[in-house]
Formats: sequence, structure tokens, C-alpha cells
Amino acid sequence: MTNRVGIVEVAMTPGAETKEYFLDQVFKISKEVLDKAGVARDDVGTVISASSDVFHGGMSCANSYYWDAGAAFLKNGSRQDGESLFAFIYAVMRILSGNYDTALVLGVCKGSENPDDDVLTHFFTDPFYQRQVGLNETIAAALQKREYMDRFGITEEQCAGVVVKNLKNALGNPYAHVKKKVSLDDVFASKVFMDPLKEIECAPKSEGIIAMVLAKEELAKKLTDKPVWFKGYGSSIDGFYLGDRDLLEGELPNAAKRAYDAAGIKDPRKEIDVAELCEPYAFQEMLWCEDLGFCERGEGGKLLESGATGVNGDIPVNPSGGVLAMNPYVSRGLYRLAEGFLQVRGQAGERQLDKEVNTALAHSTHGFAGQCHAVAIIGS
Amino acid sequence: MKKDFYTLENVIRLPHKYAAGPTFTRFYSGLKEGTILGTSCPSCKKTFVPARSFCPGCLVNLDEWVAVSQEGEVVSWAYTEREFFGMPGKPPAILALIKLDGTDCNFLHLIGGIEMGDRDSVSSAIKRGTRVRAAWNDEKRGHMLDIKYFEPVS
Amino acid sequence: MGRPVAIIGSGQTHHGRRFDVTYPELIKEAVDAVFENTGISPDDIEGVVSGTMPSMMEGVALTHFYFAEVLRSVGKPIMKTETCGSTGISLAFTGYYWVASGMADLVLVVGSEKMNEGDSQATMTTVLEPFYQRSFIAGAPGVFSMQSQEWSVKFGIPEEKVRAAATRLSVDHHNDAFDNPYAHIKKKLTEDEVNNARIITYPVRLWDVCPNSDGACAMIFASEEMAKKLGLTPAWVRGVGYSGEEYWFGDSEKAIWQCAIDAAKQAYGMAGITNPRKDLDVAEVYNPFTFQELLYYECFGFCDFGQACDLTLKGVFSRDGELPCDPSGGTLCTNPIGATGLNRVAEAALQVTGQAGDHQIPGAKLSLAHAMGGVDQYNGVMILGSEK
Repeated sequence: MTNRVGIVEVAMTPGAETKEYFLDQVFKISKEVLDKAGVARDDVGTVISASSDVFHGGMSCANSYYWDAGAAFLKNGSRQDGESLFAFIYAVMRILSGNYDTALVLGVCKGSENPDDDVLTHFFTDPFYQRQVGLNETIAAALQKREYMDRFGITEEQCAGVVVKNLKNALGNPYAHVKKKVSLDDVFASKVFMDPLKEIECAPKSEGIIAMVLAKEELAKKLTDKPVWFKGYGSSIDGFYLGDRDLLEGELPNAAKRAYDAAGIKDPRKEIDVAELCEPYAFQEMLWCEDLGFCERGEGGKLLESGATGVNGDIPVNPSGGVLAMNPYVSRGLYRLAEGFLQVRGQAGERQLDKEVNTALAHSTHGFAGQCHAVAIIGS
Repeated sequence: MKKDFYTLENVIRLPHKYAAGPTFTRFYSGLKEGTILGTSCPSCKKTFVPARSFCPGCLVNLDEWVAVSQEGEVVSWAYTEREFFGMPGKPPAILALIKLDGTDCNFLHLIGGIEMGDRDSVSSAIKRGTRVRAAWNDEKRGHMLDIKYFEPVS
Repeated sequence: MGRPVAIIGSGQTHHGRRFDVTYPELIKEAVDAVFENTGISPDDIEGVVSGTMPSMMEGVALTHFYFAEVLRSVGKPIMKTETCGSTGISLAFTGYYWVASGMADLVLVVGSEKMNEGDSQATMTTVLEPFYQRSFIAGAPGVFSMQSQEWSVKFGIPEEKVRAAATRLSVDHHNDAFDNPYAHIKKKLTEDEVNNARIITYPVRLWDVCPNSDGACAMIFASEEMAKKLGLTPAWVRGVGYSGEEYWFGDSEKAIWQCAIDAAKQAYGMAGITNPRKDLDVAEVYNPFTFQELLYYECFGFCDFGQACDLTLKGVFSRDGELPCDPSGGTLCTNPIGATGLNRVAEAALQVTGQAGDHQIPGAKLSLAHAMGGVDQYNGVMILGSEK
């Protein structure tokens, strides 16, 4: 039985809408990652993907559609109907079990073919209560932001600061969807969407097809001279009814603790070199930083203002631009992981951090006001 | 060189019939009569609204019914002037989490009965802690929106 | 193969038209049952796997959010697996891999469906993309009818013989279901009734087809150490196999059904099975259609290709035959799609732990569970044994 799992290669599409046929995109990315990794399709052990029917053209049993395009013909594979970090960890489990030497992991989401995310997230609701009142993820986030400001004094300037930071970072990311330099004034002038959220504080709806090759230790070392190792993972889910939860004390601390314990991390702020988080609503980046232990509860705004989470800070967050710049709902976690992978390998191009990156954290969230979180730690 | 490919448009309409079970059936009957029903947990003593068939914390089945107070405090609110999919009514609207007196969870519903034309007047009328009370439709059909909205108690 | 993994308990709901409960309430029944049956404390569960058919079926997307409480998953790690009809067995694989990897010692797996709240055939039609296939597939019965025609013509099996064998399966399974307290359709049918029932899509008739059932199944996977500590009788996972073919229905032949053959081969290889009909004591085959069940007997190596009808008519696969198949009544009698594959695993586990009550196959030590999904696209097989 193998001890370690390494990420060998990554391939991904940019986030802007294309008129390419969905399956052509999946095929192209799957082929590209296998070619780059030097793994023949015949030698792929198992294929695990993440996708969701509502997030790709309303086609049910999502992975039926892209099974062949995703290199899985006559392969033993499976699918996570949720966020793509679930698919990553499932592939890791399959290799750790000893049954497989390699895995192909896919995250599949063609945003341009779907209705707005708020239409789709409306269908997370139960038909009897929250659906009748019209709940969707943006409303949930707006309610959460209001509480965050009321309880801890987080300011609009601080929230705007996240937008400015991330969109600026995105300019150096060839995969980013939103490429726009914005100032604080631009953010304040932006249209109100669901007060207290402005349009520009909410993530776009992007294309995102991403593939990753994982291999057990001995093979990973043969396939590449810089495998990035899986170190730890944790996930956790909160209760369903929005009103039952304390929106500022969610499940991310639990998810993070599980990942930190597995990775042997005791002081996250010191031991993590870069963090790629999912912040579909700008203020959430600050809240997640608190949950991840980068600062005390309520200090997320101060952390941002200090510059610590900037590209030259001691805990750079989202040097890729994060989800505010690029939001393929189901694949976004795997994109975070890919960014971490590239940083550790020194292959992040213009967005490569100006320091040694040995340990990266990738985070994903989905559900109302962060009902569900996952954290993965990878490193050299 | 821009390539123009065909775009296929497709709308999927599917019908659903949801089983409300005994708890929501009784909750909806309560709404029809102008009452907001909750259930209490014998184990942790918490009261939940809308009524639940089981306690979300203890997972025990719940059987103690109570007509909860129709008044409470605003916990959080979100204001929009835009129409969105599934919107209960037309903009402008205020979605809110309200802690009804004597209950142990927040109730998701609407705030109304105030001037809603601009954000500033709304935010001076509604704050965290503002006390609100349920305002009902004359015609009730057993639906969350039998409660028109919650309006500030003067 | 990694460290040993066992199923140490399961719980099922009563299946049928369950308009008496909401979807979460239905799931709670199965989850409460597995904890009651095993005496395990929900607090000790280290991870939860949930699965159901896609959102169009019940009109709720990413249902792991909706079910968080009833799955006992609040505050715990969660995974959500979905592979169409084979979801149930893919859920079992997820639980198995979670424990086999060493990342958990005790995992709860829950499959569920509330089919009667939606339009199942319409939902299945949305599996097909709108550019080409959607207009041509007449729901699941259409697909399986085409497959059965392909098979019977390829192997030169006379129509009357196929009809007779299918009828035998229908009569037997619907009758067997009386001994399964959870089954949905229990019925004493005559051959005449089955032969002359209403045509769904030729040659498939009403009693050749599974019902739309509401139901849920919960199951607990454990490591060897945990199983020992809890003192529960284990059903050891001896083999797993799964394979998927092309999305395009016409691309591969479906008579010699490669992904079904491969799935069984993978599982047999791990379990050391060389003569399935002899080595296995009972098989819970996913059988939404009687015609397709005959095909599975051949693809799984229970007999040679073209022979399933003869052997079925001889009673080889009946409850008192050499290899009893679907003594629970199978999917033919109970089909909550997201749970069905898991029900097959639960039944196979009950058999090798001697807990199958009135439909126990005496002395069963090695069992097979199977599920199929997609438009004849996926097959998954799991082998369970009373020995490690």
C-alpha cells in the first residue's frame, strides 16, 4: 500500500465564455493533461470527476455525457455531485487503498451554457419553506455579510479591498475570467445587487474544465521531477435551514482542523506559504481567513488592511484572483488546488509569488452562506 | 478571426408533486388560520419554526406543538431593487432573518410595510434589533406567503 | 488490495408510494434503522456518503445540503456520489474506498429516492443531450427493449423461449418479494397474466418492468479493527469492479456487454472467483427488466452466452436452485433508483451474515451485488463474503 499521492500535472480552460462544444473542451483538456504527464490513456487507473447536472446544461447523470471525452471509456470511474475537491479526495482515497496507481481527476462546468448561478442555487432550497421565500446563495451571502458587519464592525472599505486585491491579481492570470483593474472608488460606485452586496462583490459565472493527474509515490517520482504531494484534507457540512445556523460560526474551522491535523500543521499562518480560497462573495475571504486561523475571530478586515494577504504579505491569499475573477461553480475548488500546485512548482507565471512556496492550501465552499467547506493541503 | 458556431437553445420543464408529510401539512394549516406553529424538543428544550418533525440538533422526533409569537427582532436583512428568479413578488424587496420571541432559530421571510424606494430610507427604518410583527394576507392558502411580510412595530 | 473493509449493518425503509413523509423524513427512517440495528452511536461516524438521482427527479439540487441533518452529517465530512442508476453501488464503493484508504474507520453510506415526487421517465430523458439522442430514446424501457432484441437475435434464441424465461423470472421474483419485509411490489402472478400484460415497449410488458418506488437504504462500512471493537458480524468486501462505456448508445454492442463483463471480471479477480456459478452462493443482480436479467447471467459468467433462458427455465437461478438470484425480489419489485444499487449490496450483506430472515439462502458465504446505470452505460459489481 502506498504512502503518498502526488499531483503530477494539471490542464485547465480559461474562464471566459467560448462557443466551443462542451465535449470538445473536455476531450482537449483530458488529452492535454495526459500528454503533459506522459501517461497513456490505457495506463490511467481510475477517473473521478466532479460535475452537477444543473451546472452543465441541465443534463442529468452528468458524467454520462462526458465519460468518453474524459478518457474514461471502459475505465472504473465515479463522480462527485458537488464540489470538485470532493473528487480530488476520492481519487486520493482510491490510490491510497492500493487498488490504483494513477487517477485522472476532472472538474467540469460550462457556465456559459447555464442560467445564472442564482437561478441554480435557488434549487438548493427545500420546496416547502425556503423556496417559497425565494432564497438563493446571493441572498444568503447578503444576510451573512450584514451580520459580519454588525457583529464585528467589518467595513465596506475592507470588503472593497478584497475586490481590488483579487481583481488586480487576476490580471496576471491567463485563466481568469474577469480581467479588470478596479479601484476602491470603482467598487463603491458599482451597482447594488442585493444590499449590502454590490454586483462587483459577487463572483461571475465562468467556464471551467480542469483535469489533474495523480499518481502513487513511486510512479509520481518517475513521471515528473517535481511532484506536489497530498498532505491533508478535511471537509465539513453545516445545518440546512439558514435560520438554524450562526452564519459567522460555520464549519470551516472543523474542515481546516481535519486538514491541518492530517498535514501536521500547528501554526497555519506560519506554515502555509500560499492560500487559494473560494470567495464567491468578497467579504467571505476575510471570514474564511479567520476560520482558517490566519487571524483571530473578527479580525479579518484588519488582516486584509495589513497587507498580510497581499502577494508580498506573509500569508498571500488568492494570488490567482480567486473566485471573484473566475467562478466555474463546481470546478472552482480544483482550480484553487491547481493554482497551489503551480505555485509550489514555480510555474505560476506572472502570478508566481516572490518567495519560496513549499506548502499550499486550497479551499472550496458551496451551499448557502458556506454551508459546506473543504480544505486540501499540498506541498513539496 | 471570429468563429460563429450554432447555439442550441433548450428549456426543460419538469413537474413535481412534493409530499409535505404530517408536519408541514399541519404547519400550513396553521398558516391558513393565521397562526405560526413551531415544535419543541423535549431533550434540548429548543423551539423551532417552521415546525419540524425532528430536532435538528438532537435528531429526536418532535411532537410538542406550540403557536409561536408573531413578533420578534430582525437579525439580518438584505434589500434588492432587482427582480430575481423565484422572487416572492416584485422588487423592491427585503429578505430577512427574524428571531421570533420564544423561539431558538431565525425565521427567513420578508420585511415590508415601509417605504422601500431607496436604500438609505430602508436602512434607517430597519436595523439589527428592530422589532417586527407578522402582517397577513386576507386570503390564505397554506403557503409561507400567507404572511405578507413582517412590519416594524411602532 | 488494501486493508480489509466490512459492512457491519444496514437499514432500509418500507418501499412504495411514500406520500406520508417528506424526502428528508424518509431518509431519516433508514438512517434511524441502521443505528438501531447496529447499536452504533451516530457520534462515532467519521464520514457520510450520500447519493440520489439528479436534481430533476425531485426538483432539489445538491441534496446533501437538504439532507445534512437526517444524514447525521452536520459537523462531519461528507461526500456525494452520483452515477445514474448505478449510484447505489457507487455509493458503496465510496464508503469502501474511504475506509480502505485508511482515511476513516467508520463511514455511513445512504442512498435514497422519492421517485413519485417527480416524473422519472422525463428525468431520464434529460440524461440525453439535446443535439441528437434526446429525441430518440423512449425512456429506459425503450433502451432495454432494443438491447434485448439485439441479444436474442445475436444468439439465435427463439422469441417464445425468451418470453418464457422472462415470465419465469417475473413470476418467481414477485412471489419471492413476499418474504422481503421491505419490498414494494409483492404479487402472486400467473404465467398468463405476465405473458398477456400491457405492452410497454415491445417485447417488454408491464410485469417485466420495475415500479417507481420511494425509499432509502443506509449502510455502515468499517475497518477490521472497528468491526472487531463493535462486535458486529462483518460482511467483508472481497471484490469491487466497475466499468463505463460510451455515452452514445449506438457505439458499442450491448449483447456481449463489455462493461458488465469487465465489472464482474474486476470483482472476481479481487475475490479469487474462477467459477462464478459454483463459487457464489447468491447473487443480487440489478434487474429492472426481466429480459435484461437474463443477459446479466451470461455477462457475469453464470452460464455461457445464449444459455441463460434454458438454465432459467430449468430453475438453476431460482431460490432453491444452484445459484439463487435476487431472492429479495430484486430491483424488479423495488426500485428507488438512488438506493436500489445500495439495496442490492445490503441484501447481499444480509445473506452472508445470516440476517436475511425469511428469504435467507441457507449457508450463504459468498454473494454478489450489482447495479447498472446510464443509458446502458455503467455496470458495477461488489462481492461480499463471510470470510475476509
